[in-house]
Amino acid sequence: MSLRLSGDDGIIRLLRSKCPGERKMPVIDVEHVSKSFYLYPDRPRSFQELVVNLFRRRGERTPSRQVLWALRDVSFRVEAGETLGIIGANGSGKSTCLKLLTRILEPTEGKITVKGRVSALLELGAGFHPELTGRENIFLHGSVLGMSRKEMKQRFDDIVAFAELERFIDIPVKFYSSGMYVRLAFATAINVSPDILLVDEVLAVGDQSFQEKCLERIHELKAEGVTIIFVSHSLDAVRNLCDRAIWLDQGILREDGVTDVVVARYLQHVYEREEEKALAAQEASRQRRERAVAQEGSEEEEKGASAEQEEQDHAEGREVQNVESESDPLARYRNRWGSRQAEIVDVYFLNEAGERRLLFATGEPMQIVIRYRAHERIEHPMFGLAIHRSDGLQINGPNNIFADFDIPFIQGEGEVRYIMESLPLLEGAYYVTAALYDTDGTHAYDHQALYYRFRVHRGQVGERYGVIYIPAKWAHFPHGAEEGEANR
Amino acid sequence: MISRLRELYRHRELIENLVVRDLKVRYKNSVLGFVWSLLNPLLLMVVFTIVFTIMLPNLTIPKFPVFVMCALLPWNFFNTSVMSALNSIVHNGHLIKKVYFPREVLPISTVLSNFVNFALSLPVLFLLIIFFKVPITIWILYLPLIMLVQVAFTVGVSLILATVNVFYRDTGVIMEVVMQAWFFLTPVFYPVDLLPEWKTVWGVALPVRRLTYILNPMASIIASYRSVLYGFTNGSPPAAPAFDFFSRTVVTALLCMVIGYAVFTKYSHRFGEEV
Repeated sequence: MSLRLSGDDGIIRLLRSKCPGERKMPVIDVEHVSKSFYLYPDRPRSFQELVVNLFRRRGERTPSRQVLWALRDVSFRVEAGETLGIIGANGSGKSTCLKLLTRILEPTEGKITVKGRVSALLELGAGFHPELTGRENIFLHGSVLGMSRKEMKQRFDDIVAFAELERFIDIPVKFYSSGMYVRLAFATAINVSPDILLVDEVLAVGDQSFQEKCLERIHELKAEGVTIIFVSHSLDAVRNLCDRAIWLDQGILREDGVTDVVVARYLQHVYEREEEKALAAQEASRQRRERAVAQEGSEEEEKGASAEQEEQDHAEGREVQNVESESDPLARYRNRWGSRQAEIVDVYFLNEAGERRLLFATGEPMQIVIRYRAHERIEHPMFGLAIHRSDGLQINGPNNIFADFDIPFIQGEGEVRYIMESLPLLEGAYYVTAALYDTDGTHAYDHQALYYRFRVHRGQVGERYGVIYIPAKWAHFPHGAEEGEANR
Repeated sequence: MISRLRELYRHRELIENLVVRDLKVRYKNSVLGFVWSLLNPLLLMVVFTIVFTIMLPNLTIPKFPVFVMCALLPWNFFNTSVMSALNSIVHNGHLIKKVYFPREVLPISTVLSNFVNFALSLPVLFLLIIFFKVPITIWILYLPLIMLVQVAFTVGVSLILATVNVFYRDTGVIMEVVMQAWFFLTPVFYPVDLLPEWKTVWGVALPVRRLTYILNPMASIIASYRSVLYGFTNGSPPAAPAFDFFSRTVVTALLCMVIGYAVFTKYSHRFGEEV
């Protein structure tokens, strides 16, 4: 699907194509719902504290309660048989939203109407009692969900078969392994014929085959017309299961529409935020470096490249590592050496519009800029680059000499650019080594190994396996058919 | 309110299952199983019988073991129900936070499972009654009604205390002391006739005996049990509790249950975040 569908028109068109005909009745109707939590730093939790507080002076007992809005004015409807994904960062209100739908929590403002039997896969096996057998727990849990004994009897065999626990069903669940426990819980929750199924990030349980079985069962329920609300951090899972998605951002409903569109918007937002953070960190580190250089300027130049500088660089390396959310697997290989008659001052990355970026999409134009400062005249220098994947694999290693691009000499400041019309790298984190050598590459002026990073996210290119994207086309020629026309 | 009651009714099987779970868990890990629920009052009665017929035979109250037991068993039912229902919400916090169901199911089923225990101990009480040759009269038919009244009252008290305990966690500690005092203020070990009609405290004349009945519904309930099972301390046989007295007791108990339910439902929507 193309992301270039022009904004809302595109979404509306897609929505229409998904649900043709007249509107069905909503089974979930969330109207202007807000939920706040009061955080009391010291609200009395016992009568003892209550009494003690009475005797304190007014100034001392300040129950300055803070209000935390987990959801603000959220409205959406879900129609029977729809599959809705809820996405968003941690703390964006996804779980609160589900808990409101299950009525575990009640909204502070607004109204929620839910029609039909709701089964929630929130925390599996919460209602199980360890002393009771699997059989007894199935019936107990069924009645927690409001099922009658008769109804549960009809489903009992299915549940046991699904959980693959035939041999152990009459053993107290306290003797179950955690896998058996979860399997029983999942089987029970999913086989109570819910009208609405709420799933919260629980698929990461059991072994691989059981997980697949669970997903398969959820897909089956979807096909049977069960309304499903699915909360997950796995955007792929959401994309696979859900027709529609909503994106919550700090308790606010940011987007509601076709899954692919909402997921794409969400990802874009995530990348932008990540980029802002990374750029800020980079900028801070650059400013520090410049300050350090300015200080050293008054001192002797030669010694500028000595231990102190080295230390500074290492500190920066650590800093960057702390600021960035991801781990930095290659940090310990980061290294810098050279005689420094000429230095690489900075390396940065430009997008099509000439803006500095740390995040690029596969297939996007990209330029790597090497800024240098030559303290003396250097004839025919060699500027080199190397791009590494985050596991250390070197992807390429171009330089201007290989490319027959001659730079007669450098003196003072300037920049050299490596221009890619289309970035062929697939999603991931990449490291850049930049180096400045003499013509035959024997003398290093400045070599900065793995000093710079950028990230690539999946843009409009569908490929996800391997390292690079090779712009190529597919063709199909069925043999034996009429000669001539290729079936493209 | 009506819809909540309807919802509660829909979950009647849950109550049933929770009661069964309680009883099963209680007896599963003991060799003697449910015999314990019989053994406990039985042993208690043996002790009382020994103490009060052999060691202290000169008490003025005839058939003292029966006199005590037909009050003590209901009191124990009340006491254990309230003290365990008090914690029913907090202890099931893991359930409350994960699954929705009418929360009143928890204290109610706790009271009911204790009620089953109480009912199971009644045969032993009858053995005692027969042993001491207390006449069994037609008024014993009042017994189920009195038990129901006690359940209503107990449920009411339990609902309120379970709610309070969610917000103030030392309710249990306070209630232990309160229940001690309540026990002694209730005529279990002594006949209510022992109380003075009037007593002047700090210049105010208090109708002590009337106050005991008015302020303490448990006193009325226990007096009713005693009236139909034991009779009277002057040796007269069991009789129906006085009509106006008993109807007041019924009204009080029902009122207590309604208030308890109202308080509980008013706050139960906050349990999910407070537990």
